[in-house]
Amino acid sequence: MIPEDLRYTDKHEWVSPLQAGATVRVGITDYAQDALGDIVFVELPEAGATVEAGQPFGEVESTKSASEIYAPVTGTVMARNEQLKDKPELINSDPYGAGWLIEIEPADPGAVDDLLDASAYAAVIEQS
Amino acid sequence: MTETLRRSPLHDRHVALGAKFAAFGGWQMPLEYAGGGVLKEHTAVREAVGVFDVSHLGKARVRGPGAVDFLNSCLSNDLRRIGPGKAQYTLCCDAGGGVVDDLIAYVHTDDHVFLIPNAANTAEVVRRLRAAAPADVTVADEHEAYAVLAVQGPRSTQVLAGLDLPTEHDYMSFAVAAYDGANLTVCRTGYTGEHGYELVVAAEHAGAVWDALFEAGEAYGVRPAGLAARDTLRTEMGYPLHGQELSLDISPVQARAGWSVGWSKPAFWGRDALIAEKAAGPRRTLWGLESLDRGIPRAHMTVLRGDQPVGEITSGTFSPTKRLGIALALLDAQVGLGEGAGLGEGDVVEVDIRGRRSTMKVVKPPFVTPSVR
Repeated sequence: MIPEDLRYTDKHEWVSPLQAGATVRVGITDYAQDALGDIVFVELPEAGATVEAGQPFGEVESTKSASEIYAPVTGTVMARNEQLKDKPELINSDPYGAGWLIEIEPADPGAVDDLLDASAYAAVIEQS
Repeated sequence: MTETLRRSPLHDRHVALGAKFAAFGGWQMPLEYAGGGVLKEHTAVREAVGVFDVSHLGKARVRGPGAVDFLNSCLSNDLRRIGPGKAQYTLCCDAGGGVVDDLIAYVHTDDHVFLIPNAANTAEVVRRLRAAAPADVTVADEHEAYAVLAVQGPRSTQVLAGLDLPTEHDYMSFAVAAYDGANLTVCRTGYTGEHGYELVVAAEHAGAVWDALFEAGEAYGVRPAGLAARDTLRTEMGYPLHGQELSLDISPVQARAGWSVGWSKPAFWGRDALIAEKAAGPRRTLWGLESLDRGIPRAHMTVLRGDQPVGEITSGTFSPTKRLGIALALLDAQVGLGEGAGLGEGDVVEVDIRGRRSTMKVVKPPFVTPSVR
């Protein structure tokens, strides 16, 4: 499942289009949640933190292992999904919806357009 | 070197159930199932019933006059404590007291014992037994001849009753039965801490038995359960896994598995080394750790007191039942942690989790109360 309206990284994060012209929502893809298995713990930066494209900004941990999550774009964290603290399983059940991770205000709004589109991301999965 | 993985006779059924697979001891086995996952499968076993395919486990048959006496002079536990129809957890040690494998021995008669070693160690256990066996005792490797299905959970009795299989025998005993023309050994054993059964059936009949278990179990919330859930279930019980809590480098004295050693027997492999280690006191002991924060400990992480390393985690996971990180760890006896040292249970230690410190409490396993009987 790879929604057409999102952008992607080759490390299996998704990025929404700019919301209200200012922020993007970030999560991990259906492929990533399936590979991780049942997620039991999520660590995310608080609002106000800055993240740098390609650098880890948080961690998701499943029953079997922990994985870092990488920032798709450089910017400032505007919100994090507080529901995940008690319900990390939302990432498994609804990775593109209720299981979102953080909202970022990109330093360069155009940076989102440089990410992979759905078909390019499908090719990444195909090769992995 | 790539090795072709062996497959269970139930492989096609796992594929049809959308299983994710992983290699276990040279076998390609189901890790978890589509629509399930570790948490659901784990909970099904604790609260209802789960069925595991553990056909990768080894099977070996020892036959001949005095087979029990022969095995009793090799394996650690005292087979004379049990009789025909009973099963026993035992160890195959080397001369130094290291553990070649842990296994279950099923005594059929004085002249006939069936062994279930671990998949990866079966060939080595068979090799050692053959080398030691008297001329009229044979040790047959029957690894691929049988499937093993573990039916585990509080509803397991009802599921087996649906197949008209015997269910009333005691824990650690077995009954020989038949289902639809196939001979089955129904053992009251398991690796989950729940009331349950392990069925040993000829490979060609495994599919029919598997299908019948799910048909009979539907009303009881049965789920197929993969080896990932088996690992979280056994970790909650503090059961050792060979290669992690027991190995050629980790003796039963260190792993607190001394209950599976027949200390008064005149001979068994590793006897002198183990008696000496027991007398001197082990240099490290297996303990449980329970996370006091949100950290999830993992195998091979270092346990610290202040800045001093005091041990290593052998298995660690998120406990689905307790909803926190748990681990089994070998803690150094020299730093005052350990039996009789005044410190131990209740002590607080730290674990280095990828560069961050997580606080853990030392406990005596099991983490969850077993209900095997």
